[in-house]
Amino acid sequence: MTAAEMVTVAQRSIGVDYPTPDARERVVGTLRYTVDHSVEGMAYGRLVRSPYPHALIDSIDTRAAAAMDGVMAVIAGADLVESDLVPHPYFGLARRDQPPLAIGKVRYAGDPVVLVVADTDSRARAAAAMVGVDYTELPYTVDPEEAAAPGAPVIHEEWPENQCGDWALHQGDVDAAMAGATHIFEGEYVSPPANALPFEPFVAVASWGESGLEIWTATQWPSAVQRELAHMFELGIDEVRVRVLPLGGGFGAKGQVKIEPLVAAASRLTGVPVRVEFDRDEVFLTTCKHPARVRIKTGVDADGNFIARDIDLVYNAGAYAGLSPSGVAQGMLRSPGPYRIPNVRLRSRGYYTNTVPSGSFRGAMTNQPAFAYESHTDEIAGELGIDPLALRLQNALRDGDVYAGGQLMHDVHFVDLLEEVAVAIDWAEPSPPAAPGKARGKGLGVILKTAAPGTRTEARVELNSDGTIHVHTSAVDMGQGLQGTLAQMVAHHIGAPYEMVTVSDPDTAVTGFDSMTAGSRTTFASGVAIHSAIETLRRKLAGLAAHQLGVGYEDIRHVAGGAVSGTGPVLSFADILAGAGLDSLSGEGTYQSPRSPALDHPGEVRGEVSVHWHQGAVAVEVEVDRETGRIEIVRCHGAAWAGRVINPTRARQQSEGSIIFGIGPALYEEMLVIDGQVANPNMSDYMIPSIVDIPMELTSTSLESDDEEAEIHGVGEMTIPAVAPAIANAVAAAVGVRVRRLPLTAERVLRAIEGHDRD
Amino acid sequence: MTLSFLEPTTLEEACSVLAGDEWGAKVISGGTAVVLMMRQGLIAPTTLVSLNNLEGLRGIELSSDGLRMGARTTLTGIASSAQVRSVAPSLAEACATVGNVRVRNLGTIGGNVAEADYASDPPAVLVSLDAVCTVVGPARTRLVPVADLITGFYTTSLEPGEIITAVTIPLFPDADVRYAYHRYVSGSSEDRPCVGVATAAEFDQGRVKDLRVVVGAVAPVPQRFDNIAREAIGTSLDAATRDHIASAYAAAIDPIEDARGSVWYRRRMVEVFVRKGLEGLVAP
Amino acid sequence: MTEGREVVLDVNGRRHTVLVADDEPLVLTLRDRLGLRSVRPTCGIGICGTCTIQVDGAVASSCLLLTRQVTGRSIRTSEGMVDSAGALSPIQQAFVDRGAYQCAYCIPGMVVTVDACLAENPDATLEEVREYLAGNLCRCGTYVNILDAVRSLVGGPPTRRSNATGQPGANTPPIETRDG
Repeated sequence: MTAAEMVTVAQRSIGVDYPTPDARERVVGTLRYTVDHSVEGMAYGRLVRSPYPHALIDSIDTRAAAAMDGVMAVIAGADLVESDLVPHPYFGLARRDQPPLAIGKVRYAGDPVVLVVADTDSRARAAAAMVGVDYTELPYTVDPEEAAAPGAPVIHEEWPENQCGDWALHQGDVDAAMAGATHIFEGEYVSPPANALPFEPFVAVASWGESGLEIWTATQWPSAVQRELAHMFELGIDEVRVRVLPLGGGFGAKGQVKIEPLVAAASRLTGVPVRVEFDRDEVFLTTCKHPARVRIKTGVDADGNFIARDIDLVYNAGAYAGLSPSGVAQGMLRSPGPYRIPNVRLRSRGYYTNTVPSGSFRGAMTNQPAFAYESHTDEIAGELGIDPLALRLQNALRDGDVYAGGQLMHDVHFVDLLEEVAVAIDWAEPSPPAAPGKARGKGLGVILKTAAPGTRTEARVELNSDGTIHVHTSAVDMGQGLQGTLAQMVAHHIGAPYEMVTVSDPDTAVTGFDSMTAGSRTTFASGVAIHSAIETLRRKLAGLAAHQLGVGYEDIRHVAGGAVSGTGPVLSFADILAGAGLDSLSGEGTYQSPRSPALDHPGEVRGEVSVHWHQGAVAVEVEVDRETGRIEIVRCHGAAWAGRVINPTRARQQSEGSIIFGIGPALYEEMLVIDGQVANPNMSDYMIPSIVDIPMELTSTSLESDDEEAEIHGVGEMTIPAVAPAIANAVAAAVGVRVRRLPLTAERVLRAIEGHDRD
Repeated sequence: MTLSFLEPTTLEEACSVLAGDEWGAKVISGGTAVVLMMRQGLIAPTTLVSLNNLEGLRGIELSSDGLRMGARTTLTGIASSAQVRSVAPSLAEACATVGNVRVRNLGTIGGNVAEADYASDPPAVLVSLDAVCTVVGPARTRLVPVADLITGFYTTSLEPGEIITAVTIPLFPDADVRYAYHRYVSGSSEDRPCVGVATAAEFDQGRVKDLRVVVGAVAPVPQRFDNIAREAIGTSLDAATRDHIASAYAAAIDPIEDARGSVWYRRRMVEVFVRKGLEGLVAP
Repeated sequence: MTEGREVVLDVNGRRHTVLVADDEPLVLTLRDRLGLRSVRPTCGIGICGTCTIQVDGAVASSCLLLTRQVTGRSIRTSEGMVDSAGALSPIQQAFVDRGAYQCAYCIPGMVVTVDACLAENPDATLEEVREYLAGNLCRCGTYVNILDAVRSLVGGPPTRRSNATGQPGANTPPIETRDG
């Protein structure tokens, strides 16, 4: 290939719809996931879980189980405490408050209590059924505000008020502004628990050897798993090796530490590799989307400007903290919405309750406030007689505006996003008349999300003498086509054909550190790290090339696939390596996002709170059946700010996949908690959208900058938070009723139409 | 757990095994319901008696007795049968919408009745058509109307050792009969129904001679109130009559409450869909 | 699982003799004994479709079938739709070409289902195939591209698309807002 051809090839790597390198394996079904992985000699573990939401463990009778065929161990929390092999049994990303097996008491119905390890899965199950546990039930609470009240059951001794995060932010003078406002609007919006429900379940296989612990696990966050296990077993970081295969879905649920401590401890105690795979009901019981109640009050002047906003958010953290203590801060920072509001008072709190621990979820902490503020925006528009789009355009943040907390906004495109989605559903045209008994309406939503602060990603790009390039990164592919996208970026920057680039599976012994594959950060963060790694690699190549050509370093020019000096011949990468007698050459790079000092003071957050802003909008047209209340989505368009799109089809799939993921909790999905139990931990009583539940006209736009070097923005979650309020707004437009609690079931809508409220 | 899987070649053998082990032995036909209930821990049989090798339990036959469907005829088979579509279109419709295509390919009509799932579509339609099951037991064969066979949530009046071998629908080829089935799902399209309404009417010169309205998915057993339906006799099933019957059904039924609908909502949906079901009988 | 008896299974056109317990679900036999990992148990109750296989051409949930029930019947999975030279079936190729996959856990089940639908009804319309796929769930939300793949096989009206990528305003007319 000539230098000119190489340049052309390189230029075509970004913005091109290359299939992922493993497209064929994925479609045929030969791709291996963690659930397919086995280790020689591995045993199988099955859990006994608490039936009670809050109870003391009085005694555990393991004799019958232990006597059964094939059973190797029956392990309870007390065994972890007593063993020297598990020095620190508690784990957790913000607070180490969660044991792999309950110690002393159980805190939610579903809390793991005993693990049976046997030589086959069915023997482990059979033995688990024979374990007897005696409990003394304790008073319990499933509501965070009840948990916050004096006299509530204490769930964790160290947190007697059940506090799990308490943050505040003030800007300007909200009370004075409200006093001077022409109009004041108030509303309360409720989001129930929902489940990310990845199809591949939580699954891990752990084994111990001379070099320490090796664990294969379906996780989005290998570095957190590594850190928590190192702490639990008092190992050096290098003694914990976490290996990750592509995930069969993650959606945040696998962006935590959940199953790994259990599997690692079981393997250490039994001395054999142990595999645990959760059943579907256990997937429901492991982690869920934060239920939340958002109270929002807005003062508006005579011209329709938002001049003051007062928001109170209460998130239900569930039985264990997870990331809630800091997560509720992120929710707070996202709660004013993408609007210019000079006076703001925000308060966000999380509380422990005796329910499934809340955790990461696609659009985490953002869905709940967005449902609130975007429903609220339409309620304001309705009262003032202003077009909901016009009201948003008037108040939307633009570059140079100041956001709550004092940050100056840059690279924001909310106006463009709104216009894009509005045009897509013919916002200016009234809906055509609906069939008798039905009504149509259109609705919008626009949202913002902060980027996770203080994250780091390392990448290493390795050039081989045969021209192939290998990228080492701990970023996890969970269906977003990450390995393909990173390969395209590498091909572009280094000037090589896409087919020559391969990307590793994460392996903490080999691939570098990555904070997590979550929060829509990876294409951006890995992109920066990779760019930096390639710059380093190019400097090394330039040095070698200069030496080989006998010229000065500064005389070397980079071209696609090689280097050249003046008008001399191009030295290809292979030439350079051969000339230096090397089989391969690597460059490393790091992306580090600043931590957010604004978050050092929970009671008074102030300053820069996000290194960049994720932005999305959705417009939807619905048809409501007036007799049943059932909502049908007629068409839907989502737009996200991408900055630069690497692979158009995949970017589109992220936006459209996000919309579909958002339709579920908007219309159908709710984990029902009755008498302290999850009543519907199965896919028949908890239904996700099917192909016939989505409109045939479901489209999206990934908006790009005209600057080729513009910052990349992840689009994995940008449209979800706008879906539920856009639908609620469309329903209001169609039938004139406002539902402020999700999901928007047919019954809720019909009750609202008839004024027959129940909630 | 040791589970044995038996494949008897005669009905006598099958009935005998079942009768001899009342709690431990269960029939497995298409298997979807039985395997599902085993996986969920609702039943724990030690012997599964497969009907795979028994002759004569599949097939659809139209005769002077009516429409006879072998108990092992699949739901897909019934939904796609030209005969069923012609003489009992509401049953074809119901069998075409139960669950999903995989369930319909394996599920059988006999298995469906024996499962007595309150939210399944065919039982309400079968009751509206006065369907009768042929039930073979160790000592005798009897004919049991579907309405009498299904007695509660997942409960039938089958005695130990009994197997459903056929389901027969009486037909009235010379009469002006019309059928309809309406199914309402309140949640996602793949969810179980909130309400299912099966209607069947015989007309004589534009006047109702006989009317059946059966509501499923709202109570443990299909709900049929002939005393209410009879009020339509002699009318043209006009709008006022339809509204009246719909309201009366809504008042008469004591609906269950679950995620698909509260008591209030189900009652309201009964009214809406009985009305639609009756409209379906007079629509051109 | 308990020790079982030897049965002969006809899978993807080949006969296999396997030792199978009486209560062994077909999904586990296919995965663990025959190495056919495209068949995946997810919901365990026949709802999601990731364990979809064909039994004599008809789609079935292998999580709800006991292997003992299907001896003597022909079973087909996605792996069996790749020909002996390694070429993908037209349906599989359409899925690859249209990017109809994300995490892909559900995709082999989709492929098997589309295959059965079109074998049963070669003149199926896009809408009919869509209805047929109603019982195959996808959490990543790949439905849109799956419909694109199906459309490339059976034809059908294209969906209106705004510019999939582009700069703001480049392809859209000026915005109008409504009267209040």
